[in-house]
Amino acid sequence: MKMEDMPLSGPDNTRLEALVHDIYSELVEDACLGLCFEVHRAVKQGSFFLDETDQESMKEFEIVDQPGVDIFGQVYNQWKNKECECPNCKRLIAASRFAPHLEKCLGMGRNSSRIANRRLATNNNMSKSESDQEDNDDLNDNDWSYGAEKKAKKRKSDKNQNSPRRSKSLKHKNGELGGSVSSEPYKYNYNTGISYETLGPDDVRSLLTTQCGVISEHTKKMCTRSQRCPQHTDEQRRAVRLFLLGPSAPSLPDADAVVESDSFDIPDGQTLMSRLQWEDSPDISPTDSASSKASTNHSDSRRPKKKKTTSLGLNSGGIGGIGGSLSGGSSSSQSNISLSTKKKRPKLSAPSITSIYDDLN
Amino acid sequence: MSKDSQMRAAINQKLIEMGERERLKELLRAKLVECGWKDQLKAHCKDVIKEKGLEHVTVEDLVTEVTPKGRALVPDSVKKELLQRIRAFLAQHATL
Repeated sequence: MKMEDMPLSGPDNTRLEALVHDIYSELVEDACLGLCFEVHRAVKQGSFFLDETDQESMKEFEIVDQPGVDIFGQVYNQWKNKECECPNCKRLIAASRFAPHLEKCLGMGRNSSRIANRRLATNNNMSKSESDQEDNDDLNDNDWSYGAEKKAKKRKSDKNQNSPRRSKSLKHKNGELGGSVSSEPYKYNYNTGISYETLGPDDVRSLLTTQCGVISEHTKKMCTRSQRCPQHTDEQRRAVRLFLLGPSAPSLPDADAVVESDSFDIPDGQTLMSRLQWEDSPDISPTDSASSKASTNHSDSRRPKKKKTTSLGLNSGGIGGIGGSLSGGSSSSQSNISLSTKKKRPKLSAPSITSIYDDLN
Repeated sequence: MSKDSQMRAAINQKLIEMGERERLKELLRAKLVECGWKDQLKAHCKDVIKEKGLEHVTVEDLVTEVTPKGRALVPDSVKKELLQRIRAFLAQHATL
């Protein structure tokens, strides 16, 4: 390739140098011109000053660089202490515990709905025990704070709670009951019993003073219900006590009470009986009345003599009324005794009784 | 003088023909952006525009205001590198 400038560049080095600088300044001016075009275009289109803001807003949105605070100057772990109000029970619950609580509170989910249904059913049946149950719920509910939950976890084993796992462990416990049963009979399921072979004589005695104790034919376990349980008769209870404690064992406390009340109630008129029944009726649950009825029948068959003597001397008009009043009165007064010893039982003085007897005869 | 101007035109044509001028321009632009020359000039442009008023600014105003400053603000390293490349090109095509 033949170059035109080859002979010219050779002789003078300074001219060449000037040439190089010229080319360079041309290039720099090109770059400047390009920039000027760019800026002018941006200005005319209105986009040149877009990235500029006034000092106030710059200060307002300044990035905060302090420990414990995010770049907007907010404390970033605020949510940890947040509490929510339960729409169902109106209580404040830690946010992290809110979902589990709501499930329980509203009765969603399989286990929770079962529990909720059961609670509803029991509430409808026994309006009186409702408040007690609510209290127990409050005690056992661990949703309210972290601390309570931790505590509950520690004594999970001895607390009656709603989760299926816990109830299972409870059942397992029932199978191998120790001597502590008699002290806390209410803790255990009524349907399961106690095997009396494992108990010492003292345990048996204390147990029999508080519970029904009739030994089932099928399970060979003792009934853990109260002494007025409707499943078993007084005859059965007496037989069990005779079997376990020997002939010297004290008879059922009911028996004496029944006798006593009978002797008091018989001579009375129908009005007193109805009054007694009226007074007691709010406290008597269905099971109570049933058991007392059973025991009354018992006492009737036990002491036919007295009944006969009383009924013999009665007028024809009074027989039905007093016969009816006999059962009703005894049942009410007996339940009265067994329910609460504190309660006042209307007593009749002895002379009046005898006088009524005389009148009847 | 005619010889000189003739030579100058020949060299320019050679630069454009070979594409070297375009390459040099691109290199210069990248270097100037890299060293912050462009931002400095832009800031200067802003002052000029504010001074003249947004509506009355023309390209000529900008060029007359900006070019002297632009020429002065080019870093020495960039200037040296560019001169070196031009010299190398001339030497390559003149001495051959």
